[in-house]
This record gives sequence, structure tokens and C-alpha cells, in this order.
Amino acid sequence: MGDYLIETRSLSYEFSKGEKILNDLNLKIPKGSVYGFLGPNGAGKTTTLRLILGLLRKQRGLIEIFGKDFSKNRIQTLSRLGSLIEQPSIYGHLTGKENLELFRKTYGCNRSRIAEVLDIVKLTAAGGKKAKNYSLGMKQKLAIAIALLHDPELLILDEPTNGLDPGGIIQTRELINKLNKDFGKTIVVSSHLLSEVEKMATHVGIINKGNLLFQGSLSQLQQLKSRQSTVEVEVNDTQKAGELVKSLFPVKEINGKKILLEFETKERVAQLTHALVHGGIQVYQVAVMQNDLENLFIQITSE
Amino acid sequence: MPAGFKGNIAVEFTKLKRSSAFWLTLMGAAFVPLINFLKCIFRPDVFVKIYDKNGWAGYIDDNWSVASAFLLVMYVILVTGLVTQIEYRNNTWKQVYATPRSVADIFFSKLIVILVLILLCFFLFNLFIVLSAWAINLVRSGYGFFKQEIPLSNMMLISGKLYLSIMAMIGIQYFLSLRFKNIIVPIGIGVGLLISGFIIRSWEHINYYPYIYSVLVYFKNPGLKPGTANSVMINSTIWFTVVSVFGLIYMTRRKERG
Repeated sequence: MGDYLIETRSLSYEFSKGEKILNDLNLKIPKGSVYGFLGPNGAGKTTTLRLILGLLRKQRGLIEIFGKDFSKNRIQTLSRLGSLIEQPSIYGHLTGKENLELFRKTYGCNRSRIAEVLDIVKLTAAGGKKAKNYSLGMKQKLAIAIALLHDPELLILDEPTNGLDPGGIIQTRELINKLNKDFGKTIVVSSHLLSEVEKMATHVGIINKGNLLFQGSLSQLQQLKSRQSTVEVEVNDTQKAGELVKSLFPVKEINGKKILLEFETKERVAQLTHALVHGGIQVYQVAVMQNDLENLFIQITSE
Repeated sequence: MPAGFKGNIAVEFTKLKRSSAFWLTLMGAAFVPLINFLKCIFRPDVFVKIYDKNGWAGYIDDNWSVASAFLLVMYVILVTGLVTQIEYRNNTWKQVYATPRSVADIFFSKLIVILVLILLCFFLFNLFIVLSAWAINLVRSGYGFFKQEIPLSNMMLISGKLYLSIMAMIGIQYFLSLRFKNIIVPIGIGVGLLISGFIIRSWEHINYYPYIYSVLVYFKNPGLKPGTANSVMINSTIWFTVVSVFGLIYMTRRKERG
């Protein structure tokens, strides 16, 4: 199996002739990681995850999960992973506990797991309530509880924070971190929000228009990001400030009351501020403008 | 260890709890006997005489003749749609296919649930026929149902024949309900084929047309070859087998699951 729980090789998919959805995708998802699968809507994230789960018939390429060809070991593989694809799959006419009971029987795990997973997702009190009366956040938690029932080594969560309020987003993120750190789960979590992925992922894969643009650890991504970040300084006299710092710092642009410089390190930002203040410039605001996902894509594709 | 086929059939039955398919079975089975009960209660002047002459046979016929011609077929169309809609409506097909179950397991466990649910409907229908007749006798002592023996073997024979006659339709409707997400499509096709069946009822090859089989089995068939009723029961079983195998192959080869 090596170090990767999921590995795809040259995974490609097209919906109709010529309309390519995935193009030679080579995913490597390390064991024990929280793998943030990042990309804008329509990039191919859900298609990839559906292929990995066998919900779409593979056209080209290889999918290895737990070191084995998925297409030849579908049932064995699915018994070792849990998933949540797009909206939660919950039987609304049944209670939370009854929903769990259904899947418990299919997975053949102990009855005691129902109470355990309800406790993990903090849904014990609502276990007896009909699922159709749950809020979206509660449904999402129940769906994660279902995915956890058989204590799988691998969790595949497709946009688990989609549609949740800020409180729900934080709770889901905390849950993912807990499942990874306390229970040792390898988790693949897709999202279209870079900021969201940064808060929970250890590894990141960035996909756009079916192509994998970046894959690596979070620190590698952050290095990449910082290379293109900008320091924005608001001062009383931009001309004077520009003259003062242009030989010492990489000035990108002088714009009205603001100077834009390339971000190097935090320490360099402190030196910049110090130099300006000592040069008699009034500094109103210093901000590091980080790349959003769109800019990051532009940057990655241009490299 | 993941559940086997038997365990997953139990899982599929659990999904029926509080479902529309279950309530339809219960109410569908009670509807005609209830109407017949009311009819006898409010017009004993008419029906005491009729049932004095025909007894249980007449009362059973009054129930089945209405049910077999239209309601039974409608029930099959609706219940197959409602059972598969449990997954579509709750957006759960993808979760079902992401569990460690083979496509054949999923396909046949649901089909068995439908077959058993329809069998339950037959059982309840017969039970309600008997209970409603007794209730009529309790309320209006002029009726003679208490005095006569219940023709259980005849009831079972009618039920058995009608059940066989609808097997073809169960297979076709099940496939359509799996194939189309929108419940209106299988219902629309089913109702359309039923109505067409009534229009072409006298056609010499009507024994190949599944949506009219229950009518051909229950009623007399003037103008058709003798033995048509028997041949449609065999044809129905063949239809069911062929469509089920085709349905399984289709679901296995489907590009997208859930």
C-alpha cells in the first residue's frame, strides 16, 4: 500500500464526447492526512470523489484504495471507508437512530456504535427525532455519524460545510480535526474555499477544469501563496515613503495613499514599518493581502 | 462483517416504517371492503336479499371485481414507485451504492420488499373482506355471513391467480421506477399502458400485454381463445423473469449510480 491510502493514475473522465471533466488526475492521499481537495465549483471534485466511490463508472486510468485496484475490490474497499457525497443522504421519515440502525445492519457493526457515533458528532439528544425535522447542520452531522459507524480508516467528505452557517462550519471543522487527531482517520475533504481548507488540511490538492494544478503539504502551499502575497501600506505621503523604501524592499506599485510591496516574511514587514516610522512617515495601516483561490489558480497556472 | 443478502432485505424492510408505501398498502387493502361495508349497512333492503342468495361468493366477487380491474393495477404502479422513491426523495441512492453491497443485492432486496408488500396487501385485502362481512352482520343481523362457512380455499385460489397475473407488471414498473427519478414518469407510463389495455382488450394477442392480465384472469373473456387466463399467468411469470434479468443488467452497467 505504501504511504498512500488513495492513489489515482491518469484518471480521466468525460461526460459526453469531447467534454472532458477530468484529465490525467494523479492523486496521492497520504495515510493519516486530512487531504483538502480544493477547487472552484465545476472543477471536477465531486466527479473525482464519485469515481473513487464507484458511483460513476471509470472510463480511463487506475484507482487504488488501500493499495488495491478499486474496481476489483469494490465491496471489500467500501467496507473500510465512510463517505458523504454532496447533500446528506438521510431517510427523513426515520429518526436519527433508525437511520443509523439501517446502516449499522448493512455494515454489520455492534449496536453500541450507534450511541458512540452520536456522541462523537454531538447528536445524542436528537437521536430520537425524525431526521426530516433536523436542521441542515444536524443532517450533516448525522451523515458524518453514518460514515463513521463501521469505524472506517478512511473518510471521504464532499463539501461537508456547504450551506452551513458559521457556527456549523466551525463545528464541522472541529469534528474533522478531532477525527483525524484523536481517532487517526485519514480524511479527504473537498471544498471550494481555500481559507476553509487551510484551517483543517495537512495536505492539499488543487483541481481546476479537471486538471490537478497543485498537490503537496499545506506548508508547501503556504510557501507558494506567500510568494505572491502583497503588503499594503497606507501612509500620509506615498511619494516620500516610496523613495525611502524602494532600495530596501520590493515595491510593486504606488497608488494614491497606498504603497504595495511584495510580501517576503513577517520579519521583513516589521523592518518595513520600522523604516517608515523612522523616516518620519505616518503609517495608518499595514495589511498583508493574501491570494484568494482565484488568484492562486492564475498564479499556479502561469508557473 | 457486512450484512449478507438476508440482512439487507431486513434493512430494506426497515425503510418502509412510516413510509407512504406502507400506508398505501394498508389503506389500499381496506378501501374496497370499507365501501362494501358502508353499502351493506346503509342499504340492507337491497343487499340482504342479494347476499342471501350468493353468500360469501357474491360478497368476495363484489370486492375482487372492483379491485382486480383497476385498483390492483393502480396499487402496483404506485407502490413500486413509492418504494424506489424512498431513495430518490431522500437523496440516498448514492449512500446505498457506497455501502459494501453488490448491485444484485440492492436490486433484488428491493424487489423482494415490493413482492412481499404486495403479498401483504393481498393478505390484508382478504382479511378485510372477512372482517367487513362479519362487521356487516354485527351491525345488521339480517345478513347471513355468520351462518355460512368462509370459502378460504377459493379466496386463496383467486389471490394466487391474480398475484401471478400482476408479476409481469411488477417487474416492468420496478424497472421503470429505478430508471426514472421522477415518479410521474413510471406512473404515467403505467396508467397509459393500463388504459391502452382496456382499449385493445379484445385483440387476439392480448395475452402478451401485461397491463390487462389481472382483468383477463379474473373476468370471463368472450371472443378470446379458451385458456387465455391460464396462458397469461405463464406469460406474466416469463415477463417478470425477463424484465428482472434485463433490469439487473441495466443497473449493473449503468454509467452513473446514485
